[in-house]
Amino acid sequence: MRTRRRPFVPSSLLALLALLALPACGDSSSQTSTKSQGQGETAESSTIRIAVVPKGTTHEYWKSVHAGAVAAERDLRAAGTDLEVVFRGPDREDDREQQIALLENLQSGGFDAVVLAPLDEQALATPVRRLEDAGIPVVVIDSGVAGTPGEDFVSFIATDNERAGGLAGEHVAKALGGVGRVLLLRYLEGSESTTRREKGFIDAVTAGGGIELLDPARHAGATRATAQEAAENLLSSLATESAPGFDAVFCPNESSTYGMLLALRQRGLAGKVVFVGFDASPDLVAGLRGGEIDGLVVQDPIRMGRLGVEAAVAALAGTTVEPRIDTGAVLVLSETMNEARNLALLEPDLEALLGAEGR
Amino acid sequence: MTASPAIAPASTGATASALARSLTPLVGLLVVVLFFLAVPPHHAVTLEQVRTIGVHAVIVGVAALGATIVIAAGGLDLSVGSMIALTGVTASLVLRAGHGATTAVAAAVAVGLACGLYNGLLITILRLPAFIVTLGTLGFFRGAAKWLTSSRTVSAPTLGLESIVAPRPPAPWMLVAPAVWILLLLAAASAFVLHRTVLGRHALALGGNEQAARRCGVPITGTRVAVYAIAGALAGLAGLFQFARLQSGDPTVAIGVELDVIAAVVIGGASLSGGSASVLGTLAGAFMIAYLRNRCVVMGWPNYVQEMIVGHLIILAVAVDLWRRRRTG
Repeated sequence: MRTRRRPFVPSSLLALLALLALPACGDSSSQTSTKSQGQGETAESSTIRIAVVPKGTTHEYWKSVHAGAVAAERDLRAAGTDLEVVFRGPDREDDREQQIALLENLQSGGFDAVVLAPLDEQALATPVRRLEDAGIPVVVIDSGVAGTPGEDFVSFIATDNERAGGLAGEHVAKALGGVGRVLLLRYLEGSESTTRREKGFIDAVTAGGGIELLDPARHAGATRATAQEAAENLLSSLATESAPGFDAVFCPNESSTYGMLLALRQRGLAGKVVFVGFDASPDLVAGLRGGEIDGLVVQDPIRMGRLGVEAAVAALAGTTVEPRIDTGAVLVLSETMNEARNLALLEPDLEALLGAEGR
Repeated sequence: MTASPAIAPASTGATASALARSLTPLVGLLVVVLFFLAVPPHHAVTLEQVRTIGVHAVIVGVAALGATIVIAAGGLDLSVGSMIALTGVTASLVLRAGHGATTAVAAAVAVGLACGLYNGLLITILRLPAFIVTLGTLGFFRGAAKWLTSSRTVSAPTLGLESIVAPRPPAPWMLVAPAVWILLLLAAASAFVLHRTVLGRHALALGGNEQAARRCGVPITGTRVAVYAIAGALAGLAGLFQFARLQSGDPTVAIGVELDVIAAVVIGGASLSGGSASVLGTLAGAFMIAYLRNRCVVMGWPNYVQEMIVGHLIILAVAVDLWRRRRTG
């Protein structure tokens, strides 16, 4: 036993070294730099470097934010600003630690400003304050963070989430004629934007008094897989022999909507109950087109990315920026989805916006 | 390494007690089922819910079959969640490139097998603890999955694969989803390999006492590599099921699933120090975890209650198992 264990000592040291090397390469996996060749090395001092930090990189939604940021970069460059935008975020939407570590790395990495979609209202407040203290202005987009916009950070540029949730609630109440049982699948504990959507939805849908809200406090979790499992369990717990047990359902973001769509489809309920979701992705738009989803509340993430970068540049130039900017939300129904304005929100031409540099 | 040698398989004289012992993990599942029936408002389990629970147990279950053999051989595989993501993503990319369903299945299993071989070779060639190697490949496989997909989900045609893992089976006579039947068949095959083949006996001998096994002429390196390769192939199949469930390849899926997998094996009565494992127990463990999740929803308990319960269930299962072992000597 003892003799066999001897080679373990040097090899365990090797393994330890290998482990130490891991974090160094860990967070470069999701980076998409829009820097072009040769630039940045020669004129490092005069180039403004802005980091755009999304909540995650797997959701379609963040691709649109990225596209908006790249479009702003291109336009500002054309107007004579020497600018470089780097898009980098955690892979998973519940990895607060990775996002905090990322911000700390950005602070020491020579960035001039940060556009951030915070994963958590509280957990990201301190890193934001540290960046601001270090003279790096932070523009908060999409989701709120503790603090006062205009004082603790430059500006809060986002959808008015409570009103957006309200749009869904009003539609559901109208579609049911003010009477029925309405199910809510929540998204994730501690997520500010979706909690507001849920609140807005509940307030609007119960305003008439005739609707019974089924809110089993179920959270879909961070991924499509967890959302699907939660939705399937929920539907199987509500169903009786003859009826699904509810008349309408609302989900407050892309992954929870997709998980619910899969679960409804599987039980043959897609298109039979009123289903309103949030955000757009090719899979959800296909569901809307096929009548499986009645409506999607869509935000304008391209505008959010664009305004975020513009606000950061303005703050660096010393210009005053509005502390609160609402980028708007629209409820797109299957009947209205083919209107040009809605199509642009549902299926934006990201390739054109990202140009040859993006994917 | 501390467990008593278990080189010889159960002798015929002890068949009755061995049978009784192999059924004890089912007692645990039964107790949990009865517990939820006893708690007011006494929700009965409907066929729909059985189907849902079955499907939810499939991904963890299939991966846990491989982990059972690995743990029986005194090893450990922490990279299984990352393998599920990598192989699921592989399937989606193969299908998106226009290939057929059979090719996608083969590709997922082949990539899983390759991952397992890689684990096994690193462990044997570098003579490193499995914990360290698979902790490293956990990051490597996950990174590879993100690299292949640029960290985004990949939509792909499922070509009917989704009906294998949907809670409602394509034909009513199947009762449960085809994937659940596949899981049961694979479990039977795994039990056969573990208890009735030379490889299985070698694996148990290796897990029981490596020195003794070596002296008895057990090919240590070959057995170890084979065990990880089998686990990899099964993880590949689990990855394919994960893809079919989501109808898209997600590189961030199944983070932390390795813990569910190990929990299922341990709840099933396997010893983490190797030398003993129960395939039936692992199945019971996988179903128990899925059952608990479903019941917590039916009961209207919030997510955190379920996390707290599953946590203690693992501790309880191992405590009972140890107590039983001490009593039987």
